[in-house]
Amino acid sequence: MRSVCWIGFFYIVSSTVFLTNASADDGLTSEQLRFFEASIRPLLVEKCQTCHGPDKQWGALRLDTRDAILKGGETGPAIVPGKPEESLIVKAIRRTGDELKMPPKEALSERQIADLVRWVEMGAPFPHTAGPSKPKHRDPDHWSFRPVIQPTVPQTQNTAWASGPWDQFILAKLEQANIVPTDRANPRTLMRRATFDLTGLPPTPDEIVEFLVDDRPDAYARLIDRLLASPSYGERWGRHWLDVARYADSNGLDENVAHGNAWRYRDYVVSSLNQDLPYDEFLTEQLAGDLLSASDDETRSRHLIATGFLAIGPKVLAEVDETKMQMDIIDEQIDTVGRAMLGLTLGCARCHDHKFDPIDTSDYYGLAGIFKSTRTMEHFKKVARWYENPLPSVEAQSRKASYDSHVAQLKDVIKGVVEKGDASVKSTLPAGDAPATSAQLESKYPDEIKTQLKRLRDELVQLERTAPEMPSAMGATEDAVVDVAIHIRGNPLKLGDVVPRRVPHVLSGQSEPKFDSHQSGRIELARWLTDPNHPLTSRVFVNRVWRWHFGKGLVRSIDNFGLLGEQPTHPELLDGLARKFMRQRWSIKRLHRQLMESSTYQLDSDLGKDTSNQMETDPENRLFGRAELHRLEAEAIRDSLIAVGDSLDRTLGQSLLTVKNRAYFFDHTSKDLTDYRSSRRSIYLPVVRNNVYDVFQLLDYPDAAVPNGDRPTTTIAPQALMMMNSEFVEQCTANFAALIWNDQVKTDNERIELAYLRAYGRQPTAHEVAASRAYLNDVARAFSSTQASPEQQQKLSWNSLCHVIVSSNEFIYVK
Amino acid sequence: MTHDENINLPTPFSRRRMLQGSAVGFGSLALASMLADESRADSARIDPLDPKLPQLVAKAKRVIFLFMKGGPSHLDTFDPKPLLDRDDGKPLPFAKPRVQFAPTGNLLKSPWKFRQYGESGAFVSELFPHLARYVDDICFVHSVHGTNPAHGGAVLKLHTGSDSFVRPSIGSWVSYGLGTDNANLPAFVTICPTLAHGGINNWGSAFLPAAYQGTPIGNASIPSDQAKIRYISNSNLPKAVQRLELERLKAMNREHQAASGPDPSLEARINSFELAFRMQTAMPLVEDLSDESAATRQLYGMDDPINANFGRMCLMARRFAERGVRFIQVTHSDSKVQWDQHSDLKNGHEKNAREVDKPIAGLLCDLKSRGLLEDTLVWWGGEFGRTPTVEGTNGRDHNPEGFTMWLAGGGAKPGLHYGTTDDYGFYAAEDKVHIHDLHASILHLLGLDHERLTYRYAGRDFRLTDVEGNVVHKLFA
Repeated sequence: MRSVCWIGFFYIVSSTVFLTNASADDGLTSEQLRFFEASIRPLLVEKCQTCHGPDKQWGALRLDTRDAILKGGETGPAIVPGKPEESLIVKAIRRTGDELKMPPKEALSERQIADLVRWVEMGAPFPHTAGPSKPKHRDPDHWSFRPVIQPTVPQTQNTAWASGPWDQFILAKLEQANIVPTDRANPRTLMRRATFDLTGLPPTPDEIVEFLVDDRPDAYARLIDRLLASPSYGERWGRHWLDVARYADSNGLDENVAHGNAWRYRDYVVSSLNQDLPYDEFLTEQLAGDLLSASDDETRSRHLIATGFLAIGPKVLAEVDETKMQMDIIDEQIDTVGRAMLGLTLGCARCHDHKFDPIDTSDYYGLAGIFKSTRTMEHFKKVARWYENPLPSVEAQSRKASYDSHVAQLKDVIKGVVEKGDASVKSTLPAGDAPATSAQLESKYPDEIKTQLKRLRDELVQLERTAPEMPSAMGATEDAVVDVAIHIRGNPLKLGDVVPRRVPHVLSGQSEPKFDSHQSGRIELARWLTDPNHPLTSRVFVNRVWRWHFGKGLVRSIDNFGLLGEQPTHPELLDGLARKFMRQRWSIKRLHRQLMESSTYQLDSDLGKDTSNQMETDPENRLFGRAELHRLEAEAIRDSLIAVGDSLDRTLGQSLLTVKNRAYFFDHTSKDLTDYRSSRRSIYLPVVRNNVYDVFQLLDYPDAAVPNGDRPTTTIAPQALMMMNSEFVEQCTANFAALIWNDQVKTDNERIELAYLRAYGRQPTAHEVAASRAYLNDVARAFSSTQASPEQQQKLSWNSLCHVIVSSNEFIYVK
Repeated sequence: MTHDENINLPTPFSRRRMLQGSAVGFGSLALASMLADESRADSARIDPLDPKLPQLVAKAKRVIFLFMKGGPSHLDTFDPKPLLDRDDGKPLPFAKPRVQFAPTGNLLKSPWKFRQYGESGAFVSELFPHLARYVDDICFVHSVHGTNPAHGGAVLKLHTGSDSFVRPSIGSWVSYGLGTDNANLPAFVTICPTLAHGGINNWGSAFLPAAYQGTPIGNASIPSDQAKIRYISNSNLPKAVQRLELERLKAMNREHQAASGPDPSLEARINSFELAFRMQTAMPLVEDLSDESAATRQLYGMDDPINANFGRMCLMARRFAERGVRFIQVTHSDSKVQWDQHSDLKNGHEKNAREVDKPIAGLLCDLKSRGLLEDTLVWWGGEFGRTPTVEGTNGRDHNPEGFTMWLAGGGAKPGLHYGTTDDYGFYAAEDKVHIHDLHASILHLLGLDHERLTYRYAGRDFRLTDVEGNVVHKLFA
C-alpha cells in the first residue's frame, strides 16, 4: 500500500475553542444541551475530530455537525438516531468488529462509551452552529489554485537598473528591504556562467576570446542565441526534464531489468528542447502522443516515443498480487504527472483524502480511471512485462521485408534439394517400400546432396540469427475504457463508489473537461493541463526554469505547489512570467532569453563591500540581490573533466547499454555489467536504478525513482577520494596534461596560462604562475627518488599540476 | 505520541537544525563569523556525522547485521516442528497464504536433527554446531513476519521498511540519528553486499543527505580479501606527491575563497579533502588483519578454506565495531543461489551453514571476550524463511509469513525465545513481530525513538517504520 498513509495516527489535542454557541431555536431541551456540551462535545473534539473534523476527514467522515454525522463517510452514516445498535460509531467505539476500531490507538473509557450510546439513544441532539469551521489545511483558495493574474509592474526608485519588467519586480522588493543589488558580473564571469547554464560545458578559450572582443551592443544577446542554438543546450536542459521524468535505463526496485528502449524517450526529450517544441505540445505528446494524428512516420514515431514518459517509472515486477501491481503502476503514473506537471502530491489521495491539499480520494480515482483505461503493461504475471509500441519505419519495414524474402527464398531452395534427394532415394527403392519419415529418407541421400543440404541449412540458421529487430518504444496505448471505484484505504479488495473519469474538482475551475466514452481521456487530460486558464501548469514550469538559472525557485519547493509547499517570494513576477510564457506560445527558449537578459541574472556573486549588508538582511538570498556561487551538477563535473582535455565525444543520442532489452543488470552473482568508460556526454551514460554510476552517486545525482525538480549539493569526503584516486579523474588529467604539453606551446609559462584558460576560463596571475612553477619543481623532485627518468618526471609533474587544477574549487564552482 | 504537521519537534532531527548544523547548509552567518577568525576555521568543521546524543537511554552503540541473502529456513535451523516430522508427506492441514511465490506441495520434514543446548535449552539443528554453543547469549525471535514473498521486495522491506518505494536504509537512519564516533571512517559500512534485489537502495540514504549513505566494501561477487572501498587508494601516485598535491590544492582553494567571499560549501569542500586523506590512512588499518593473532583467525575459521571468506568479513566487522562504526552489515551471498533452496535443500543449506557457522560463533565469542558484545547489537537473518511444504521434490519456497531472526548483545535479552510459529511453522502465531516492529525495537536499543526519528521530505515527516511499528519491550534485557 502506498506509504503516504496517515491512517493509524491518532491525535489527541487539548480542547480548543469550538464553533459558536447554540442558538435558542435548536429544539434542544436544556438538559440535552447541557449533556451535549458537558459530555459529548468535549469527547468528539478530543477523541474524534482531529481525524474527522475541519482539517482532516479520514474515510470522508467528519463529526463536527449533525448533518455531517448523519451523512457519514465511506462506510455509511455514522449514526442512526435513536438506534445505537445500528450505529457504526457505536460499533467502532465498542471495538466489536474486526476492522472498525476507534479511536485507533486507545479505546474510550466505559463512561465515555456509555455517554455516546446514551446520546445516540436521545436521537443525537446537536446544537446548530454557524457552519463548519474554516480548515487550516485543504484550502481550496490556496494561492496556487487561483488564476494566474496579469500583474502590475511596480515602480522603483532606481529607474536605471532594470533591463525589463521582470527586474522591476525584483528591484522593488530589494528596495523595500533596503538592499542594493551587487554590481554586474564582469564579461568573463558572465560568459562562463551562461555557458555552463545553457550547455553544461565550460567555454573553450576560443569562445571566450570571441565574446570578449565582441564590442557590439548586443554581444551578450548573441552569446545566448549561440548557446541556445547549440545541440548541447538540449543535452543540458533535456537532463533537467529527465530528472523530473524520473528517467532510467533500468526498472530498479525488485527486478532490475533493462529498459532497452528508454533511450528513445531520452533522445526525444533532447531533440524536443533543441527544436524548442512548445511546452504545451511537449506535455501533450508525453501524455497522449499515441492519440495524436501524424502526417508521416517520423512524427508518428516521435509521438509514440514521447509516451515513454508514462511507462519508464519503477515497478515491482515480481509483485505476486496482480491487482495490487496494476494499481501500484497507475499510482506511480498519477503521482508522477502530479509532481512533474502540477507540483502536487496526488499519490497521497490513494488511501485517504489528501492530508494537506484539497484533493479527495474521489479526485484520485477519477484520474485513476484515465490511467486504468491506458495500457502500459503487456501483462502483470510475475515477472510482469511492460508494453512497447512498435514504431513505424519504412526503412525497418523494408529491411524486414527483404529479410523475410531472403528467408523464404532459402527455404524454397532447401525444399527443392529435399525433393531432389527424396526422388533420388525413391528411384532406387522398390515400389511400396518407401521409408515412412523424411528423416529416414534423408539418411539415404547421396553424400553430395547431404553435404549441400547441410550447408544450406547452416546458412539458414545464420540468416535467422541476423533477423532485424523491429524498433519499438516503451509507451502507452489505449485499453478498455473503465471508471474506477474508490479503493477504501487503498485496498483493492474494499471498493467504494465508482468515480467517473475526471480531473480534481479544486482545479477543474471553468475548464472541466468532458471525457470521451471511447477513449482513455489522456487527450482531455493534456488539453486541460495546457489550457491557458490552468493555474498550475505554467507556473510550475516557469518556476523550474527559474530554479535552474538562479539556483532556487521563486517557489522554493520546486515540486510542491500545494499547501505544504512554500509561498512564492515574488508571486506577481511568477504570474507575469507564466502569462508571458503562454503568450509566447509556450516557447522555452524565449523564456531563457528573458531570464538571462535580465539585470538580475547578470549580477555578480561577489558582494564587494556589501554596503547594504545583504548577508545580514537576506542571508538566504530570497530576494535575488546577488548571484550565487554554486557547484556544478554531477554531469557537468564529469563532462568538464573530459572536455578540459578536449576528449569529449560530441555524438548525439543512441544507446550505450550493453545489456539487452528486458535483460537483468544483475543476477545473483552481483557482477556489474555496466560499462561507464565512455567519452560521450553524461546524459548518454546508462542510468541504472539501484546502481547509479558511482561518480554520479557521489555527486548528488537524483534518485531516478521519483520526479525531482531540484538537486541538493552535498560535500562529503568520498567525493574527495574520487577526485584524488579514481582512474577516471586520472585519465582525464592525463589527457589534459597531454594537451597542455603539445608542440605549439613553447614555454612553461605559456603552458600554465593555457591550463588556467582551459580549466577556469581566465589567465593566471603572476603569483599563480610562479607558484605553479615552484610546484612543478617540487613534484619533479619528489619523483626523483623513484625510477622515473627526468623526462618522465617532468611529464608526471605536469600531470600532477593538472590534477590539482581540476580538483580545485574554482574548477567546479561557478560564480 | 502526539504528532502534528505544524509542530517542529525540538529533537536533534528537525531538518532545519540539520541544515543549519551541516556543512552543506546555508547557516552562513555563523560560518562567516567563524571564517573571520582564520585560526579557528580549521577546527570549526561542522559535520552532519558529528556524534549526537541518543533520544532514549541507549543499550547498544552499534549494530552488526549478518544478512543471510536468499532466505534461510527457520524449520531447519532454529524452529523445529515435531508435527512436521510426524506428518511428512501429508497435506498442510490449513490454507496456504493467498499470495505465494511458487506452488508448493505437501509437508516436508527437516532433513536435520535438532538438539537442545545451553541453560536456555534452545533447539538448534545439526547445521549450526558452533553457534549452538552461544545460544545462551542469543535472543531468538521466532515470529518475525511481513516482508514480501519475492526476494526484491523482501530484501528492500528488510533494509528500508518499504518494498515499493525508495526509502533510506536502516543503517542510514541510524547514522542520521547517532552520527559517528570516528570521523575518519564511514558511519555505515556494508561488506560485500549483493547488487541484486534492490542493490544500492539497500544501503542508500534515499532522501536523507548523502553523508548518511552506506559505504560498500566490495560486493558479493568479490572475495572479501579483495574487497575495498572505491577510490580508497591510488597505486600510481606516491604518498609524498599526493601530500604535495593536497597542500597546493589547499593553497589554491584558499586563494579562490578569499576572492569569492566566505561560503560554507567552499569551506566544506576544503575540509573534505583533509578528511579523505585521513580516511585513506584509516581504512587500510581496518582491512589489514596482520595484527590479529593466529588464535583469533582460527576462531573465525580463517584457517579453513570453507570459512576463510566469510570469516574475514566477520573479523572485519569486529574491527569496524571497535573503531566506532555505527552500522556494519555483513552479507553472506553464495555465488550460486544463496540461501534460496527451491530445490536440493539438503546440500544447499549444508554448504551455506558450513560457511557461516564457525565465523558467526567466532564473532560472538570474540566480541564477548573483548567486552564489545555489551554495546554491540548483533542481528542475524534473511529476507524471509521457507515453507514447511515442499517445492519440487526436495526444496522449500519463500515464506514471509513466519520465520526466525535472532539478536545478540546490545541490550537484547540473552537466552530468550520470543514468539512462535504454528505447529508446522508456516505462519507466525504467538507474539507476532512484524518487520516494522523489529526495526522499531532495534532503533530503541540504540536509544532512538522510531516515532521521533523523522526527516522532512517533500512536505512530510518520514520515518523508518512509516506509520507502523511497535517496540517489543520483552526482547530487551
